[in-house]
Amino acid sequence: MATTKSKLLSQWDTLHNNGPFPLKLLYQTKLEGERLMPKKIDRYNDAAKEIQRLIKETQQAGEGFRAYGSAWSMNNIASHKDRMHHNGPMNLSMPIHPSECHQNNAYDPTNLFLFQCGNTIKEVSETLAENGKSLKTSGASNGQTIAGCISTGVHGAGLDIGSVQDYVVGLNLIIGPDPNDIVYIEPQSKPALSDAFISTLNSRVIRDDDMFYAALVGLGGFGFIHGVVIEAEPIFLINRYVKKIKKSLAFELANTMDFKNSSFTIPGETDAQGKGNTPFHYKIFINQYSDDPNCIVEVMYKKPYQEPYPDPFPVIKESIYRDLIYLFVKLAEKFPKSIPWLVKRLRNTILPEVNEETTGMLKEIFWDAPYQGPAFACSFGIDHSHSEQAMNLLGKLTRDEGPIPGIFALRFVKQTKATLGFTKFPITCMIEIDGVLWKKTRKIMSLTEYSRRMIEVLQQNNIPFTLHWGKNSDWEFPGLVDHMFGTKANDWKTQRTQLLSPAMQTLFSNKFLKTVGLG
Amino acid sequence: MKLLKLLVLTLLVSMLTSCYSVRLRNVNGAPQLDPFSDRDDYYRGMAVVEKDTVINMKLTSKDFTYLIKEEELCESGKLNMVEYRNTFGSVLLSAVTFGRKRKVKIKYVCEKPRN
Repeated sequence: MATTKSKLLSQWDTLHNNGPFPLKLLYQTKLEGERLMPKKIDRYNDAAKEIQRLIKETQQAGEGFRAYGSAWSMNNIASHKDRMHHNGPMNLSMPIHPSECHQNNAYDPTNLFLFQCGNTIKEVSETLAENGKSLKTSGASNGQTIAGCISTGVHGAGLDIGSVQDYVVGLNLIIGPDPNDIVYIEPQSKPALSDAFISTLNSRVIRDDDMFYAALVGLGGFGFIHGVVIEAEPIFLINRYVKKIKKSLAFELANTMDFKNSSFTIPGETDAQGKGNTPFHYKIFINQYSDDPNCIVEVMYKKPYQEPYPDPFPVIKESIYRDLIYLFVKLAEKFPKSIPWLVKRLRNTILPEVNEETTGMLKEIFWDAPYQGPAFACSFGIDHSHSEQAMNLLGKLTRDEGPIPGIFALRFVKQTKATLGFTKFPITCMIEIDGVLWKKTRKIMSLTEYSRRMIEVLQQNNIPFTLHWGKNSDWEFPGLVDHMFGTKANDWKTQRTQLLSPAMQTLFSNKFLKTVGLG
Repeated sequence: MKLLKLLVLTLLVSMLTSCYSVRLRNVNGAPQLDPFSDRDDYYRGMAVVEKDTVINMKLTSKDFTYLIKEEELCESGKLNMVEYRNTFGSVLLSAVTFGRKRKVKIKYVCEKPRN
């Protein structure tokens, strides 16, 4: 039997110290050992039963329940004041065999894998690599769990791929304590798994496009995500380049996405006519405090896998003194005007080295990101054609009403089909400011106030936007979700109401969902 | 008096400069996490085993091997990262005991078990 360890607590915090948030009880479930239960599917189903027992226990106590993975979200989306469950040790993985596929399956079965919720992106990538496969894209690092990624819409800069949720084929959800409360949801328009296989997961099948795309970025509100079936692809290499180019050229590319007719080319990354290839990934770094007409861009191109290739890892990775970061924060709080100077001093730590060239697999390029102290990030999704305008507006706000201890970066992502996916524009530019977490003083506004001003500025300038669900913002801003998603927010709520009983809607809701009007 | 000050200063400098840590981390594999931990350092959220002990060596022994065992904080019994700390005191202890007493100050995080 899977076993659960629990601990009474008074509070819980995210990895980056964005809390603390109140909490009564923290659970962690460990699977039965392989010796006692050799079949993976048995251990998977056994874990589902244990989660259902915890749900029942929570319901009987009249409390709420929320699962979380690596605590990488920077707000209270993953928290619950009553009970939380750490999914980390639930990391089974199973390849899907051709005999387990639906008769109308359009996927290559060798690319399909079922991952249990607690697998981190790193674990998923390593399992796939052992099978000669790779994820299509990931976030900038690899510590998030697969369930956490899709629940909040984690993205990289996949111009042709999209976000993590966009290669999910089906979801195995636990939506209550009863035997009928385990469901497998996949789109009716693109079925992948056979009913017979789904029944081995003790699940009832739901084939419904609207339900699937609503649950895909479910914000933790569609029940306990027990397993995720994803579509991988054959392993590939990425050539990564860091270049310093004119800001005007960087934004011309951002606004047009026309790499073919641009003066920006990288030798070896062109077609037969010498015109630039469209990259796999495009990212612009902007220090809003610098007058430099140039900026740093990171560009990646996808290549067929071949060995050998140069080792993408350095031998030594240094990290700066934590005390230096705390000193930075203290200086920023007491003397905000020093922030641009401090950012300039730390640019070599914050920004990648110009003219860096690296080759590696996706899992090697987007590798570990060790904890470096309390951090914040505010991230907006906008149509890519608004990139330059939005950057100018948010940069001006940050200079004039700040300064704020962070710098901007822009990444570009293909549109998602998820109902509440924030990468909703045909090509979404995710414009983000990352930095160290500070406390409000007489001289510097709070993070929430800064976030509110960013929303106001974009609204005043009629730039449609979305917000990254896992990042910082003024989530209490009136009408925020309706402004971002319009009728889609109601569609999401309707699907949730159809899937969950009223009692389970309450159990799987939390303060974040209530704050934004979705709970 | 000046000589004494210089001596103290030299001693202080050597104590400080001889105290450092070295961390080794696997490129592959994920660290075992501990959601109940409230660490605030590099190992935030990880299950860390810390050992601070002195090993008594036999006169005939050249070196020793410290065995990493399966335990609650190291379920796999396989290492993901190790940090050892070298201090002036540990060098001194080894020197004055002719290598018979060796201080071990390490932290390690094990691989997250794969299911």
